[in-house]
Amino acid sequence: MGIDPASKTVDIKQPLFNRRQLLQAGLLLGAAGGATIGLSQLWRSRGRSATVTIPPLPQEAMHHGSGISPLKILREFDYGTVTQENGRTVREFRVEAQTGELQLNKSTKFITWNLNGRVPGPTFRATEGDRIRVIFYNKAGHSHSLHFHGTHPAAMDGVKPVRNGNVFIYEFDAEPYGVHLYHCHVAPVTRHIGKGLYGMFIIDPPQPRPPADEMVLIMAGYDTNNDNKNELYAFNGLPHAYMHQPIPIQQNQLIRLYVLNLIEFDPVATFHLHANLFRVNPTGRLLEPSYETDVITMGTAERHILEFSFKETGKFMFHPHQDAIAEAGCMGYFDVISGLPS
Amino acid sequence: MKFLKFFGLWIASCGLVVLVACNNQAPSTSTSQNTSAASTAPTEQATHADMGHSKRININAAILSELDKLEAKLGVPALSNKIQASRPYGKVEELVSKNVITQAQFDQIKDMVTIEDIQLTGEAKDVDYMVKLSLMKGHMMVAKELLDLGKPDQAEPHIGHPVEEIYADVEDQLNERNVKAFKNELIALQDRVKAGAKDANKTAEEYKASMQSIDGAIAALPETQHKDHDFVLQVINGLLDTANSEYTSAIADGKVKEAIEYQDSRGFVMYADELYKGIANQIQKEYPDSHKKIIAMMADLLKVWPTAIPPQQSVKTPEEVGTLIKQIETETKKAS
Ligand SMILES: [Cu+2]
Repeated sequence: MGIDPASKTVDIKQPLFNRRQLLQAGLLLGAAGGATIGLSQLWRSRGRSATVTIPPLPQEAMHHGSGISPLKILREFDYGTVTQENGRTVREFRVEAQTGELQLNKSTKFITWNLNGRVPGPTFRATEGDRIRVIFYNKAGHSHSLHFHGTHPAAMDGVKPVRNGNVFIYEFDAEPYGVHLYHCHVAPVTRHIGKGLYGMFIIDPPQPRPPADEMVLIMAGYDTNNDNKNELYAFNGLPHAYMHQPIPIQQNQLIRLYVLNLIEFDPVATFHLHANLFRVNPTGRLLEPSYETDVITMGTAERHILEFSFKETGKFMFHPHQDAIAEAGCMGYFDVISGLPS
Repeated sequence: MKFLKFFGLWIASCGLVVLVACNNQAPSTSTSQNTSAASTAPTEQATHADMGHSKRININAAILSELDKLEAKLGVPALSNKIQASRPYGKVEELVSKNVITQAQFDQIKDMVTIEDIQLTGEAKDVDYMVKLSLMKGHMMVAKELLDLGKPDQAEPHIGHPVEEIYADVEDQLNERNVKAFKNELIALQDRVKAGAKDANKTAEEYKASMQSIDGAIAALPETQHKDHDFVLQVINGLLDTANSEYTSAIADGKVKEAIEYQDSRGFVMYADELYKGIANQIQKEYPDSHKKIIAMMADLLKVWPTAIPPQQSVKTPEEVGTLIKQIETETKKAS
């Protein structure tokens, strides 16, 4: 599902462009052959190439305890099993709460409560108006639940604990479009989230956003000794993962980051990008980003879409500007590789 | 609107394990969409047409003895275990697509099964109720040990778990069974322990009141259930199964990394042992061989939790504990 990281150039997984958009894209591509398009122009234009280039990922990717690599989690979207029921698109997701070890660094092994064996849990993705059905199976000992952000009926709010060994089926409509999240809502929630029961929930607008190299970055903290403070932090589950293995991206290509701050205990964390500015789309609730900055402050559970492209090649850092948080694991690099003509 | 009716029913009863909204009924706004060209499989319609039956067996939630009705109907040995092992099911038809049974077999039982919210009835309902209260007991037992050791900070999560993780799930059953609500008692005790349990007498008093309430809720079950060893063994298995998962959550690298989950599992096994003692004589009489094995394995299991404060090194690996618990469950099934 999603983008196959092995192939170099792949069609972006976006549901069906309408004919009009395709025409526009084709026209623009033709006009752009060899010509120079300013980045801001590229960003503002409606039409665009329907292909996105993802540089090859290193063969030996770092792995989570259960064999999941942060480099894969980054661009992996779970669109669910799609069926049509009475003319409606139904997306069915299967989630199992489990317990498992995660080697956070050489000296720290952490016992997670996770979803489908990964921290963060799967990135669910739907289009506004789809019917969502999440079959949640709790096999992790304690009572857990899934609480989704977005709108839904009270009975689907996921605050009711689902006991060990039980199944609950959450069903509601995907709305409104934007970047959302889900997490366990059993008290103490800080502990249940801190141990790994969370993930991103993206609802695409009915008219898809322009093609881009899309990535999920979730900032989270680890309280490794149960003192209600975080000792380690990470993007997408594994401290320093993208420091050790920078994220390869193409020069001059639109990058769309879905960024979520889910750090418990620390009230805020910023997101800062080196040597660039990004355009902000707050909570993903706009169809176009609204303003530019190079650092954005996010309270716990705040999330935005950030868009940018790099003109220069080379390695560029990103991290919260609370440097203690960054230095304890929440830090990474983009490795900008020459590619598209500038 | 069937959806709304269904929903109202759910809200009214609330103590349910699984809720599936009727898929083809979108909340009021989007019903007009339904006329679009996409076709609907006839099986779907059949499923939705007879929603809402409450006598059906919930294949996601039913305990083994309930599933045995399907096993008996089809005459497939060990079918109950197979159904349980292939959970969860998003639709009843997955019994076929997951190769649990054949289409022909499914046709024979399709009117008996559901994945929807069902009011558990009879024994299944009582087992469910008793397991929840037994988990509360396990939490409280280990909390008491920690309070007695002068460790209110460590006792606090175990005082909290009954109200945070279980009470909401048992609330409706308490009403139905005319058991006085005791949420506030649990919360009061939690607050006191959170504040350091400075007044030992008051803490002991409130602890006792909470424990009495849980015992009172347990006593609401008919005496026949308490004495029925088959019933009690199912509860014991529920406790051991959760203890198994909790213990797995406690151990990494052969060390006890998470005291809370170690302690939870200790409490559950201790209470399972206590429950077994209450029926041991019957089992000994009727199934002497199984009894001998269960006694020996329970003793072995209890050694895994030598003290309420976890030992540095774990006594057994989660795998070993899992195997032992599985063996006990196998024996209890022979004895039921
Ligand atoms: Cu949880």
